[in-house]
Amino acid sequence: MSVRARPTSPHLQIYRWTVTMAMSIIHRATGIANYGGMALLAIWLVAAAIGQDALTSVNYIYGSWFGQLVLFGFTWSLVHHMCGGLRHFVWDFAVMMEPGQRDKMAWATLGASVAITLLIWTVFVWMA
Amino acid sequence: MRETVITTETIADPKTHYGDARASTRHFITQRLTGAINIAFLLLLLFVVVRLAGQDRTDVVGLLGNWFVGIPFAALIAIAAIHMRNGMRDTLEDYLAGSMYRLAMLLNTLFCLAVALLGAGAVLKIVFWG
Repeated sequence: MSVRARPTSPHLQIYRWTVTMAMSIIHRATGIANYGGMALLAIWLVAAAIGQDALTSVNYIYGSWFGQLVLFGFTWSLVHHMCGGLRHFVWDFAVMMEPGQRDKMAWATLGASVAITLLIWTVFVWMA
Repeated sequence: MRETVITTETIADPKTHYGDARASTRHFITQRLTGAINIAFLLLLLFVVVRLAGQDRTDVVGLLGNWFVGIPFAALIAIAAIHMRNGMRDTLEDYLAGSMYRLAMLLNTLFCLAVALLGAGAVLKIVFWG
Protein backbone atom coordinates (compact mmCIF):
# COMPACT_ATOMS: atom_id res chain seq x y z
CA MET A 1 0.00 0.00 0.00
CA SER A 2 1.44 3.34 -1.00
CA VAL A 3 1.05 6.45 1.07
CA ARG A 4 1.22 10.08 0.09
CA ALA A 5 3.59 12.41 1.87
CA ARG A 6 1.79 14.05 4.77
CA PRO A 7 2.01 17.77 5.29
CA THR A 8 4.56 18.24 8.06
CA SER A 9 4.19 20.72 10.86
CA PRO A 10 6.38 23.80 11.20
CA HIS A 11 8.78 23.66 14.09
CA LEU A 12 7.21 22.43 17.31
CA GLN A 13 8.42 25.46 19.26
CA ILE A 14 6.09 27.89 17.53
CA TYR A 15 3.06 26.43 19.35
CA ARG A 16 1.77 27.39 22.75
CA TRP A 17 1.71 24.13 24.67
CA THR A 18 -1.64 22.76 25.72
CA VAL A 19 -2.20 19.69 27.86
CA THR A 20 -4.12 17.92 25.08
CA MET A 21 -1.21 18.52 22.68
CA ALA A 22 1.25 17.24 25.27
CA MET A 23 -0.85 14.11 25.89
CA SER A 24 -1.15 13.51 22.15
CA ILE A 25 2.63 13.63 21.79
CA ILE A 26 3.15 11.51 24.90
CA HIS A 27 0.63 8.97 23.60
CA ARG A 28 2.75 8.50 20.50
CA ALA A 29 6.00 8.58 22.47
CA THR A 30 4.77 5.94 24.93
CA GLY A 31 3.51 3.89 21.99
CA ILE A 32 7.00 3.89 20.51
CA ALA A 33 8.50 3.10 23.93
CA ASN A 34 6.09 0.17 24.34
CA TYR A 35 7.08 -0.98 20.85
CA GLY A 36 10.70 -1.25 21.96
CA GLY A 37 9.78 -2.47 25.41
CA MET A 38 7.98 -5.49 24.00
CA ALA A 39 11.41 -6.71 22.86
CA LEU A 40 12.39 -6.84 26.57
CA LEU A 41 9.41 -9.10 27.26
CA ALA A 42 10.27 -11.30 24.28
CA ILE A 43 13.92 -11.56 25.41
CA TRP A 44 12.84 -12.58 28.92
CA LEU A 45 10.42 -15.22 27.61
CA VAL A 46 12.92 -16.60 25.10
CA ALA A 47 15.56 -16.84 27.85
CA ALA A 48 13.08 -18.71 30.03
CA ALA A 49 12.33 -21.07 27.15
CA ILE A 50 16.02 -21.72 26.44
CA GLY A 51 17.22 -22.60 29.92
CA GLN A 52 18.14 -21.59 33.44
CA ASP A 53 21.51 -20.06 32.51
CA ALA A 54 19.99 -17.70 29.96
CA LEU A 55 17.19 -16.79 32.37
CA THR A 56 19.68 -16.10 35.17
CA SER A 57 21.58 -13.68 32.91
CA VAL A 58 18.40 -11.85 31.89
CA ASN A 59 17.18 -11.73 35.49
CA TYR A 60 20.55 -10.26 36.51
CA ILE A 61 20.32 -7.49 33.90
CA TYR A 62 16.62 -6.75 34.53
CA GLY A 63 17.21 -6.86 38.28
CA SER A 64 20.07 -4.33 38.19
CA TRP A 65 19.33 -0.72 39.13
CA PHE A 66 19.37 0.30 35.49
CA GLY A 67 17.14 -2.60 34.51
CA GLN A 68 14.68 -1.70 37.24
CA LEU A 69 14.72 1.93 36.09
CA VAL A 70 13.90 0.88 32.54
CA LEU A 71 11.16 -1.49 33.74
CA PHE A 72 9.67 1.26 35.90
CA GLY A 73 9.59 3.54 32.86
CA PHE A 74 8.14 0.74 30.75
CA THR A 75 5.40 0.20 33.35
CA TRP A 76 4.45 3.88 33.26
CA SER A 77 4.64 3.92 29.48
CA LEU A 78 2.28 0.93 29.19
CA VAL A 79 -0.16 2.32 31.74
CA HIS A 80 -0.12 5.79 30.20
CA HIS A 81 -0.69 4.44 26.71
CA MET A 82 -3.59 2.37 28.03
CA CYS A 83 -5.13 5.43 29.74
CA GLY A 84 -4.63 7.43 26.54
CA GLY A 85 -6.30 4.61 24.62
CA LEU A 86 -9.27 4.66 26.99
CA ARG A 87 -9.52 8.42 26.37
CA HIS A 88 -9.72 7.68 22.64
CA PHE A 89 -12.53 5.17 23.29
CA VAL A 90 -14.42 7.94 25.10
CA TRP A 91 -13.87 10.30 22.17
CA ASP A 92 -15.11 7.62 19.76
CA PHE A 93 -18.57 8.26 21.22
CA ALA A 94 -18.13 11.95 20.29
CA VAL A 95 -18.29 13.11 23.89
CA MET A 96 -15.84 14.98 26.17
CA MET A 97 -14.47 16.97 23.25
CA GLU A 98 -15.39 20.47 24.39
CA PRO A 99 -12.84 22.91 25.83
CA GLY A 100 -12.48 22.25 29.53
CA GLN A 101 -13.74 18.67 29.21
CA ARG A 102 -10.91 17.50 27.00
CA ASP A 103 -8.34 19.29 29.16
CA LYS A 104 -9.74 17.71 32.32
CA MET A 105 -9.61 14.29 30.68
CA ALA A 106 -6.02 14.90 29.52
CA TRP A 107 -4.93 15.80 33.06
CA ALA A 108 -6.88 12.80 34.37
CA THR A 109 -4.94 10.55 31.95
CA LEU A 110 -1.64 11.78 33.33
CA GLY A 111 -2.80 11.61 36.94
CA ALA A 112 -4.21 8.12 36.52
CA SER A 113 -1.11 6.77 34.78
CA VAL A 114 1.24 8.11 37.45
CA ALA A 115 -1.03 6.91 40.28
CA ILE A 116 -1.52 3.42 38.82
CA THR A 117 2.21 3.02 38.10
CA LEU A 118 3.19 4.07 41.62
CA LEU A 119 0.49 1.80 43.04
CA ILE A 120 1.78 -1.20 41.05
CA TRP A 121 5.40 -0.63 42.07
CA THR A 122 4.54 0.15 45.69
CA VAL A 123 2.35 -2.91 46.19
CA PHE A 124 4.23 -5.45 44.07
CA VAL A 125 7.87 -4.29 44.25
CA TRP A 126 8.72 -1.89 47.04
CA MET A 127 6.51 -3.41 49.75
CA ALA A 128 6.62 -7.00 48.49
CA MET B 1 10.82 13.04 0.91
CA ARG B 2 7.75 14.63 -0.69
CA GLU B 3 6.89 13.23 -4.08
CA THR B 4 3.69 15.05 -4.99
CA VAL B 5 2.48 18.47 -3.92
CA ILE B 6 -0.74 18.21 -1.94
CA THR B 7 -3.18 21.05 -2.35
CA THR B 8 -6.43 21.70 -0.51
CA GLU B 9 -8.26 20.80 -3.72
CA THR B 10 -6.63 17.35 -3.77
CA ILE B 11 -7.79 16.62 -0.24
CA ALA B 12 -11.28 18.10 -0.70
CA ASP B 13 -12.02 16.32 -3.99
CA PRO B 14 -13.42 12.81 -3.35
CA LYS B 15 -12.44 11.80 -6.88
CA THR B 16 -8.74 11.96 -5.99
CA HIS B 17 -9.34 9.16 -3.44
CA TYR B 18 -6.99 10.86 -1.04
CA GLY B 19 -6.24 8.01 1.32
CA ASP B 20 -7.48 4.45 1.05
CA ALA B 21 -11.06 4.16 2.35
CA ARG B 22 -11.06 0.39 2.88
CA ALA B 23 -7.57 0.06 4.29
CA SER B 24 -7.99 3.11 6.54
CA THR B 25 -11.26 1.85 7.99
CA ARG B 26 -9.74 -1.57 8.57
CA HIS B 27 -6.73 0.10 10.18
CA PHE B 28 -9.01 2.07 12.53
CA ILE B 29 -11.16 -0.92 13.52
CA THR B 30 -8.10 -3.16 13.97
CA GLN B 31 -6.41 -0.62 16.19
CA ARG B 32 -9.50 -0.15 18.41
CA LEU B 33 -10.15 -3.88 18.65
CA THR B 34 -6.56 -4.86 19.44
CA GLY B 35 -6.28 -1.87 21.78
CA ALA B 36 -9.28 -3.07 23.79
CA ILE B 37 -7.85 -6.59 23.91
CA ASN B 38 -4.52 -5.13 25.07
CA ILE B 39 -6.21 -4.11 28.35
CA ALA B 40 -6.65 -7.84 29.03
CA PHE B 41 -3.03 -8.37 27.92
CA LEU B 42 -1.75 -5.80 30.42
CA LEU B 43 -3.72 -7.39 33.27
CA LEU B 44 -2.37 -10.85 32.43
CA LEU B 45 1.13 -9.39 31.92
CA LEU B 46 0.96 -7.77 35.36
CA PHE B 47 -0.13 -11.08 36.90
CA VAL B 48 2.63 -13.02 35.13
CA VAL B 49 5.42 -10.51 35.82
CA VAL B 50 4.47 -10.07 39.49
CA ARG B 51 4.52 -13.84 39.95
CA LEU B 52 7.66 -14.54 37.90
CA ALA B 53 9.97 -11.49 37.99
CA GLY B 54 13.43 -12.68 39.00
CA GLN B 55 12.20 -16.25 39.50
CA ASP B 56 13.86 -19.43 38.31
CA ARG B 57 12.92 -21.47 35.25
CA THR B 58 10.99 -24.04 37.27
CA ASP B 59 8.69 -21.28 38.56
CA VAL B 60 8.24 -19.90 35.03
CA VAL B 61 7.36 -23.36 33.70
CA GLY B 62 5.11 -23.91 36.72
CA LEU B 63 2.98 -20.86 35.86
CA LEU B 64 3.25 -20.41 32.07
CA GLY B 65 3.26 -24.18 31.60
CA ASN B 66 -0.44 -24.21 32.54
CA TRP B 67 -2.22 -24.17 29.20
CA PHE B 68 -4.94 -21.85 30.54
CA VAL B 69 -2.24 -19.24 31.34
CA GLY B 70 0.26 -19.93 28.55
CA ILE B 71 -2.13 -20.16 25.59
CA PRO B 72 -3.99 -16.88 26.30
CA PHE B 73 -0.68 -15.17 27.10
CA ALA B 74 0.84 -16.28 23.77
CA ALA B 75 -2.29 -15.21 21.86
CA LEU B 76 -2.33 -11.80 23.58
CA ILE B 77 1.36 -11.21 22.75
CA ALA B 78 0.58 -11.87 19.07
CA ILE B 79 -2.40 -9.48 19.21
CA ALA B 80 -0.23 -6.83 20.87
CA ALA B 81 2.23 -7.22 17.99
CA ILE B 82 -0.57 -6.44 15.51
CA HIS B 83 -1.36 -3.28 17.51
CA MET B 84 2.35 -2.38 17.50
CA ARG B 85 2.64 -2.73 13.73
CA ASN B 86 -0.54 -0.77 13.11
CA GLY B 87 0.47 1.99 15.51
CA MET B 88 3.97 2.30 14.09
CA ARG B 89 2.42 2.53 10.62
CA ASP B 90 0.63 5.71 11.74
CA THR B 91 3.92 7.23 12.82
CA LEU B 92 5.79 6.20 9.67
CA GLU B 93 3.02 7.54 7.43
CA ASP B 94 3.33 10.92 9.12
CA TYR B 95 7.01 11.40 8.40
CA LEU B 96 7.96 9.19 5.47
CA ALA B 97 6.68 8.54 1.97
CA GLY B 98 7.65 6.57 -1.10
CA SER B 99 10.51 4.10 -0.94
CA MET B 100 11.70 5.26 2.48
CA TYR B 101 8.22 4.56 3.85
CA ARG B 102 8.17 1.09 2.27
CA LEU B 103 11.60 0.27 3.70
CA ALA B 104 10.62 1.50 7.18
CA MET B 105 7.34 -0.41 6.95
CA LEU B 106 9.23 -3.58 6.01
CA LEU B 107 11.48 -3.22 9.05
CA ASN B 108 8.39 -2.50 11.16
CA THR B 109 6.72 -5.70 9.97
CA LEU B 110 9.86 -7.74 10.59
CA PHE B 111 10.27 -6.38 14.12
CA CYS B 112 6.64 -7.02 15.06
CA LEU B 113 6.79 -10.47 13.49
CA ALA B 114 9.95 -11.22 15.50
CA VAL B 115 8.33 -10.08 18.76
CA ALA B 116 5.22 -12.14 18.04
CA LEU B 117 7.03 -15.30 16.92
CA LEU B 118 9.75 -15.19 19.59
CA GLY B 119 7.50 -14.02 22.45
CA ALA B 120 4.50 -16.22 21.73
CA GLY B 121 6.75 -19.03 20.48
CA ALA B 122 8.76 -19.05 23.72
CA VAL B 123 5.56 -19.25 25.77
CA LEU B 124 4.15 -22.03 23.60
CA LYS B 125 7.45 -23.91 23.86
CA ILE B 126 7.10 -23.72 27.66
CA VAL B 127 3.48 -24.84 27.48
CA PHE B 128 4.02 -27.87 25.25
CA TRP B 129 7.59 -28.93 25.96
CA GLY B 130 8.32 -27.40 29.38
